[in-house]
Amino acid sequence: MVGATELTPAIPLLPFAAFLVALLVGHFAPRLLPKGGAIPGIIATAGSLLLSLWTFLAVSGGGYHAQDIYTWVAGQSTFSLHFGVLVDPLSAMMLVIVSLVAVLVHVFSLGYMNDEGETGLPRYYAGLGLFTFSMLAFVVADNLLMAFMFFELVGLCSYLLIGFHFREAGPPSAAKKAFLVTRFGDYFFLIGVVGVLATFGTARFVAVGDGVQSFPHLAEQALAAAGGDGAMPEHVASFLDVVGMEPQTWFAVLGLLVLGGVVGKSAQFPLHTWLPDAMEGPTPVSALIHAATMVAAGVYLVARMYGFYALLPTVLAVIALVGGFTALFAATMGVVKDELKQVLAYSTISQYGYMMLGLGAGGYVAATFHLMTHAFFKALLFLGAGSVIIAMHHNEDMWDMGGLKEKMPVTYYTFLSGSLALAGIVPFAGFWSKDEVLYYAVNYGLGESPILLAAYAMGLLAVFFTGFYTFRMVFLTFHGEPRSDTARDPHGVRWNVKLPLVVLGVLAATAGLVNMTPVAKVTGLHIEFLHQWLVIPEGSEFAALGYDHYHHLLEAFAGYGAAGVGTLAPAAVSLALAFGGAGLAWVLYNVDSPTEHTEKLGGVKTVLYNNYYQDEYQVWLAEGVTLPLARAADTFDQGIVDGVVNGVSSVSLFAGSRLKRIQDGLVTHYAALLTLSLVVLLVAFGLLGGWF
Amino acid sequence: MLIEALIAVTLVSAFAVMLAPDEVAGKLAFALSLLPVAGSLWMFGQFDASGNALFESGSLAFETTARWISVGPYALNWHVGLDGISMPLVVLSTILTSLAIVSAWTPIQERQSQFYSLMLFMLASLLGVFTALDFFVWFVFWEFVLVPMYFLIGIWGGPRRKYAAIKFFVYTNVASLLMFIGFAALVFSLNVNSFDMIEVTAALAANDFGSTFGLGAETLKVLAFFAMFIGFAVKVPMVPLHTWLPDAHVQAPTPASVMLAGVLLKMGTYALLRFNFTMLPGVARDYAVLIAALAVVSVIYGAMLALAQQDLKRIVAYSSVSSMGYVLLGLVAYNYYGLGGATFQMVAHGLISGLMFMCVGVIYNVAHTRMVGDLSGIADKMPVTAAVFVAAAFGYMGLPLMAGFAGELFIFIGGFSATFPYAQLFTALAMFGIVVVAGYLLFAMQRVLFGPFSADTDYDIVPAAPHDAVAIVVLVVLVVVLGTVPEVFYGMIQDAVDPMVESLPEATAVLTGGEL
Amino acid sequence: MAVAVEYYLLLSAAVFCTGVFGVLTRENALMFLISVELMLNAANINLVAFSHFYGNITGQVFSLFVMGLAAAEVAVGLGIVLVLYRNFDDVDVRNATTMRW
Repeated sequence: MVGATELTPAIPLLPFAAFLVALLVGHFAPRLLPKGGAIPGIIATAGSLLLSLWTFLAVSGGGYHAQDIYTWVAGQSTFSLHFGVLVDPLSAMMLVIVSLVAVLVHVFSLGYMNDEGETGLPRYYAGLGLFTFSMLAFVVADNLLMAFMFFELVGLCSYLLIGFHFREAGPPSAAKKAFLVTRFGDYFFLIGVVGVLATFGTARFVAVGDGVQSFPHLAEQALAAAGGDGAMPEHVASFLDVVGMEPQTWFAVLGLLVLGGVVGKSAQFPLHTWLPDAMEGPTPVSALIHAATMVAAGVYLVARMYGFYALLPTVLAVIALVGGFTALFAATMGVVKDELKQVLAYSTISQYGYMMLGLGAGGYVAATFHLMTHAFFKALLFLGAGSVIIAMHHNEDMWDMGGLKEKMPVTYYTFLSGSLALAGIVPFAGFWSKDEVLYYAVNYGLGESPILLAAYAMGLLAVFFTGFYTFRMVFLTFHGEPRSDTARDPHGVRWNVKLPLVVLGVLAATAGLVNMTPVAKVTGLHIEFLHQWLVIPEGSEFAALGYDHYHHLLEAFAGYGAAGVGTLAPAAVSLALAFGGAGLAWVLYNVDSPTEHTEKLGGVKTVLYNNYYQDEYQVWLAEGVTLPLARAADTFDQGIVDGVVNGVSSVSLFAGSRLKRIQDGLVTHYAALLTLSLVVLLVAFGLLGGWF
Repeated sequence: MLIEALIAVTLVSAFAVMLAPDEVAGKLAFALSLLPVAGSLWMFGQFDASGNALFESGSLAFETTARWISVGPYALNWHVGLDGISMPLVVLSTILTSLAIVSAWTPIQERQSQFYSLMLFMLASLLGVFTALDFFVWFVFWEFVLVPMYFLIGIWGGPRRKYAAIKFFVYTNVASLLMFIGFAALVFSLNVNSFDMIEVTAALAANDFGSTFGLGAETLKVLAFFAMFIGFAVKVPMVPLHTWLPDAHVQAPTPASVMLAGVLLKMGTYALLRFNFTMLPGVARDYAVLIAALAVVSVIYGAMLALAQQDLKRIVAYSSVSSMGYVLLGLVAYNYYGLGGATFQMVAHGLISGLMFMCVGVIYNVAHTRMVGDLSGIADKMPVTAAVFVAAAFGYMGLPLMAGFAGELFIFIGGFSATFPYAQLFTALAMFGIVVVAGYLLFAMQRVLFGPFSADTDYDIVPAAPHDAVAIVVLVVLVVVLGTVPEVFYGMIQDAVDPMVESLPEATAVLTGGEL
Repeated sequence: MAVAVEYYLLLSAAVFCTGVFGVLTRENALMFLISVELMLNAANINLVAFSHFYGNITGQVFSLFVMGLAAAEVAVGLGIVLVLYRNFDDVDVRNATTMRW
């Protein structure tokens, strides 16, 4: 019988088949395509979900698995490049998350796209299928190069799906921006990938099998050797010789380069500007791509190669600071937004900031935990927003809503569940995971790495803003009196919208229970299931991917030491702040006819409305610097470079036009010239030949 | 004798098409162009060469040698054969010619039989360029390629076709002269008795110099290297010798642009690889920093120029300059992935740039304008063309699993592992091209394909003709296949370039070890 | 006694220079033609003189060739002169300047 692990490649390939079906049948015989491609998509993603669950079970039983699937390039005298699958706790968890959200989004799309009579559905479902394929393949990638390749492909799908309504002006522009900004990050990522390949001769995450090596392990050896312990791997030594750098410095450079891609894809400061614009895409797409999965790719990548990052304290500090800053920065912008999806977009940026903070602070488990819970509750919130948007006839302005609570109870209660999770209210999912992230930051920050405290402070402050904007959104949307005609008589939604909401609503409420660290610490019960799940026992070939190993690296190489802070006090602080934020929102907005309070912010309001002028300066960089520079280059090229070429031709033509005047048609002159030339020639020969 | 048969069949087809009436010329030319396609694919299937064509250690496929004439002490022989570098280029040439002929059916309405005949003449001479192993045979074909292209631009081109055709012809011809002098000087100073490229390579490797015109062997090598380098750089084209290219592309009819970008530019890089980098690796190594700097300038400057253009064809033309810069970077890296990637990129860029030009051509056939500002939202009216355009553009940006990514990635790995000073910095700078290329192609797509529909033209925007759509779809499929299974060509490419790398051990300090 | 070869050469040079002078200064096409004939015959004198000097008959054979050539040239030349006269009503070489740039 085939085991789950042999079928792992089928997990991404099923959605790919759905993509092909939607593309080909959709083009040649659209009538044959049930529901515009939704049905093949649902079947395929459901199949992926089942296989993912099976894989998940297999992994629970210790069935870790790494296998080369396809040799992309077989190097004859040098290293090869290949595709492979790596199934370990992290990827198994991510597979379930991605395929689950994908199924639910496909189902939701039946309500959001099909029922709303959209055109171009095969294109939509083809995009979703291709995206799911790429994302799942990214998740199971067993080497950095393969990860990069699918990282780019999800970017393409994001481009295609954001620009789905290409006949309007906004979406294509947003799609372009999304791809371009992430491409800027991917530029650094690609240098990083190439650098890793050149430095280590391999890009594998883990070494399983004979004669196989992994780059985090080689880096570990090289750093140990630099510290006087063991021998430097030969390939690494020869490369370091070429660049002439210490391993610590060079690896930090590589780590930061790869981080560039992470910052772009996970919408971290300063490359976060594309994500709010990406909300131009259909809402299910926002839920799938721009909340739960693709944006998570960056964070997932850091977790995937944590064995490398854990060696580099500088890079970890950068990750933590970028994350903490982004969490706060984005949360403040979310406070003033008027459109439902915009608030969610900024909250997404902010939440990914928390994950980065967690990873930088050495909280591998915490960040992974938050990745999981966030995927559920943010997908839920986006789908809930989608439901509201259907009801509101595609009006997203929260000031036109209000009072939807009675009209759409299912949406309201599930949305509330997601909001509580987002705000971090106990016992909803977000509380446990966010709290754990902050706990790691403060614990290691008070210990050996004080710089983490700055990141912690920012993260903590962001909790307050999160609570505030989340409940401002809830109250404005669902509470009070309806503020427009559509809000008084909203469009109903069907089962295909409610079902995904309910599933995710339950998960948002309960997913946190898998890792209740404070409870475990207090009661002494072993209920930190996620923590245990991510630990890989010593002696396994996969031990290098386990949390214990990372913990060891953090202490041995990055100098992380815990201060032994208790778990309850930080949890209480962040909970208090979350309640504070939510309470402020309650006071200001949970009234029958809420009014805008943003005027009270004074000048700050303008800054926040304009997103700290981040878009402006990036647009300025593109249109105010690069474009004039390009035009100047063009002028230079046409004027100087081509001018020289044309100049050569003009000089020849001019010289010719003058010289031809010798040819005046007078035979006498020709004869004179002949004679003269003969004489000159004779004299010249004579002089050279020494006749005189 | 297969290579001769291939060239002969193409030549005979060219004459046959010339005599055919205009109404059938296009179809006939396409049918006849399938013969070389089939031939080259059959050769590809039977391909059994190993090693590099110019090294005595290499064994060639379909090799033939025949005595021809002798001039003074030098024997000029007919010598052709294929190795892993030339085979992919031969396949590329035949396939692209067939597709370019199909893409000519719509736009070419005058003097059709002559047009298609010239296309086939060009293919015949291209096959000669990529197979010849004797300098004189090669040079004859090399020069002959210019003739059909000159007429294709000069007769069927746009409003400034004469200027463009003459500029193209004179510029590249002057460059050929310089290259010829360089190579001839090299040969005359060596103890060889033929212009056979294998013999010259061996003599250079052995440093078997006779008289060196009083310059000393090293100086002569450097001078010859740069004479040839400049000569080939015009063809590639490298900045600052590139200005003939945009004019030629903009004026040329679409099928000629496809051939020009797809195959003719590769002649330059192919020759650089064969002559400069195979015969004089030491000089290439000594001046690696200079050449790498040139490559980086080509990449970035070319991309910046593309950013400033409004004409779709000009955009693609300048981006070719940029992409060819990558090839030079791969060559100068002089290691396994560098040289292999450069060769692969020639094929990949041939397909993708051909595809881009065909897409632009399809739009032009319908809209009769190529200006970015004149068109908007045409995806609504031409869905298949728009979809292929998007795919092609992403291919050009180096989307993984498409051919361009594979070529660029190999080059970047090679460049990053190169051992000349600042190689990593140069590579990182050149890689910034992938951001700029994304910039201008995304801008162009956003304006032309998407947004509310409007067209500032007197013509109706209607879907592309079926044969046009099929041609571009076939090319997209080829690009994806090559990107997904690069081994199709990359295995034989490695066979051919690995001996080169091993001839210059100091360039390979990195990249030898690692996981095999 | 034989005349020394230098005298022949002097004669030849003198005839040649006369011819050159004529070509450079005459305006009449016929005179022009005659000057050309003079130059040719200067060469003939040279050929015959050296032939005699070396006792080799080749030079004399060549001079016959040159004479044949001269005859042909005169035929063509006179034809041109006739056409010149017909077109320009004159045989002045300075008038026929239409074949210039």
